[in-house]
Amino acid sequence: MQIRPFRLSVLSLSLLIPAALVAVVLFLVVYSGQAMLFNGLHFIFNINWNLGDLYSDPVTVNGISVPPGANYGILVFIVGTLLSSFIAILIAVPLSVGSAIFLAEAVPHRIRPVLSMLVELVAVVPSVVFGLWGIAVLVPFIGHYLSPTGNGYGLLASAIVLALMVTPIIASTLLDALMQVPKENRESAFALGATHFEVVSKAMMPMVRTTLIGGIVLALGRALGETMAVLMVSGGGINILPDSPFAPISTIASFIVSQLDSAEADPTNMSVRTLSELALVLFLITLTVNATAKLLTSGALNVRKRQS
Amino acid sequence: MKILTNLLRSGVAALAIASAAGAAHAQTVDVPLIESGSSLLYPLFNAWVASYSASHTGADITTTSTGSGAGIAQSIKGLVQIGASDAYMSDALVKANPTMMSIPLAISSQAVNFNLPGISHLNLSGPILAGIYEGKITQWNDPAIVAANPGVSLPNHVIIPVHRLDGSGDTFIFTQYLSASDAGWASTLKYGTSVSWPAIAGEIGAKGNSGMLSAAAANPYSIAYIGISFANKAASSGLGQAALLNKAGQYVLPTDETITAAAESVANTTPADERISMIFAEGANAYPIVNYEYAIVNSHQPAAAIASAMHDFLTWAINEGSSPSFMKPVHFLPLPPAVKALSQAQIDKLQ
Repeated sequence: MQIRPFRLSVLSLSLLIPAALVAVVLFLVVYSGQAMLFNGLHFIFNINWNLGDLYSDPVTVNGISVPPGANYGILVFIVGTLLSSFIAILIAVPLSVGSAIFLAEAVPHRIRPVLSMLVELVAVVPSVVFGLWGIAVLVPFIGHYLSPTGNGYGLLASAIVLALMVTPIIASTLLDALMQVPKENRESAFALGATHFEVVSKAMMPMVRTTLIGGIVLALGRALGETMAVLMVSGGGINILPDSPFAPISTIASFIVSQLDSAEADPTNMSVRTLSELALVLFLITLTVNATAKLLTSGALNVRKRQS
Repeated sequence: MKILTNLLRSGVAALAIASAAGAAHAQTVDVPLIESGSSLLYPLFNAWVASYSASHTGADITTTSTGSGAGIAQSIKGLVQIGASDAYMSDALVKANPTMMSIPLAISSQAVNFNLPGISHLNLSGPILAGIYEGKITQWNDPAIVAANPGVSLPNHVIIPVHRLDGSGDTFIFTQYLSASDAGWASTLKYGTSVSWPAIAGEIGAKGNSGMLSAAAANPYSIAYIGISFANKAASSGLGQAALLNKAGQYVLPTDETITAAAESVANTTPADERISMIFAEGANAYPIVNYEYAIVNSHQPAAAIASAMHDFLTWAINEGSSPSFMKPVHFLPLPPAVKALSQAQIDKLQ
């Protein structure tokens, strides 16, 4: 057999990324093993989270040493993560579809690169900046004009901040695809007497549908895992499921960050192990979302190739 | 990772010993020290290190702000030499790590701030605050609050309680006050840097003292507990400071006098390991939410040079470092003489 040094070196390099992923997942699984034994499966449906009394002597429950009163229920955080992300997507999709179509169809050639660069610039704004804007502008606005209790922190504020963060992702993905719709399709639709709206909605959008779904999946991935901006405006609700858009929530990612420091003072280490288990749950959620989207459209993968 | 840090540390120690042996005259040994932990202590450590490095050639101290829990955990693991914490180490942690010491460096306190249009003075007690944060007292004109504030016309409006959503020494001392003064809170929610906050409609979880401040300032009819370092900003944001009911039955505001009174009433009963709560202290004029700010250090350092560098710095911190020029900007107070002696005794244990 012939030895191919190029192929071998590239192969080993390409294996590094999956290997790193497997290593992280393995670490999480092993590290949170004891927490899995202690929490069982029902912790997914439990809404009460309590680190327990970290300043008393640990007690032994079912042979596992935990702080007295420790009870880890994570349903609130799963619901908070999914709800805020899906509402964010609901807000972001019309915004980004509208702006992509505007940029592709209605903007003069000379201004288009400037505007589309601006849209892409928004995608690289650090999330803490969005969080600060949320605290300084959005939260008081919601509190003043929308919320019946006068409290602006919560589900709606988180969803809007997330929506603004992911809109440029969807918009720039979609814009790239719209620009690549063959001129002939567009012009023949016009030639058939279609209005501008009909050209866009009937001749162009169907061709970029898979791209759109791909962009939404990318956006959802970012929204599900966003930490800092959500932490700043979510109101950090625990022990309660949100019952209105103005209810405080916690997402998995922001909750892990907010609890980690206290968890490190746990002499039994069970709190940190449970947070690792929570991280694993978040990983599973994002994996499921991505896999579902891939099933919905096998062409979605091409988007990323084209974008780069 | 561990091997790497050990290697690094022993290398550093060897270098330090070599340089110490080379330099015959008295000079601070060149050992890099790392401080990490409490964000409340961070500004003070920064000011200390700048001044200490200027007057001690060879001093090399890095300060980082992570969180009290991280400060304790990293100090135990030996990743940092000085862990900064608003809370002392728990019995269970001390039992597991008998060489770890909690050394008070300064005294801090906390204000309970309220945003009530038109009202500048308000009396509150532990049981009232416990009721508010448990969701049992929901209106500002609740009979319990009215009874504590004769002559004040309280609004018929829902209370918006604001709490920290990140782990915090401020939550620790606030919930300790509630536990010490309210039996119901003590038996259910207890105290900690994070607690399982009961669900209340309209409540806000905010991040950091600055987040607490902006949430309280943006929401009229809210109440929040905020570290005393933020007192000036709270006042300029229009927030009032509540007078809290102390153990002697007096309503007191956090001032230098009332905080000192609390510190002095605990000074003589502080044990040798200095792990004691100053919350709800005795004394007619004692403010009830006062705490020591701790350095969490391991008495057994891997090299004598490291121990001596830490000894020099911490000794300097509780002596020269407690001058008003360092304490005033962060609203901390220096340790009373009796406690300073105990801290010095613990610092002398470094080896």
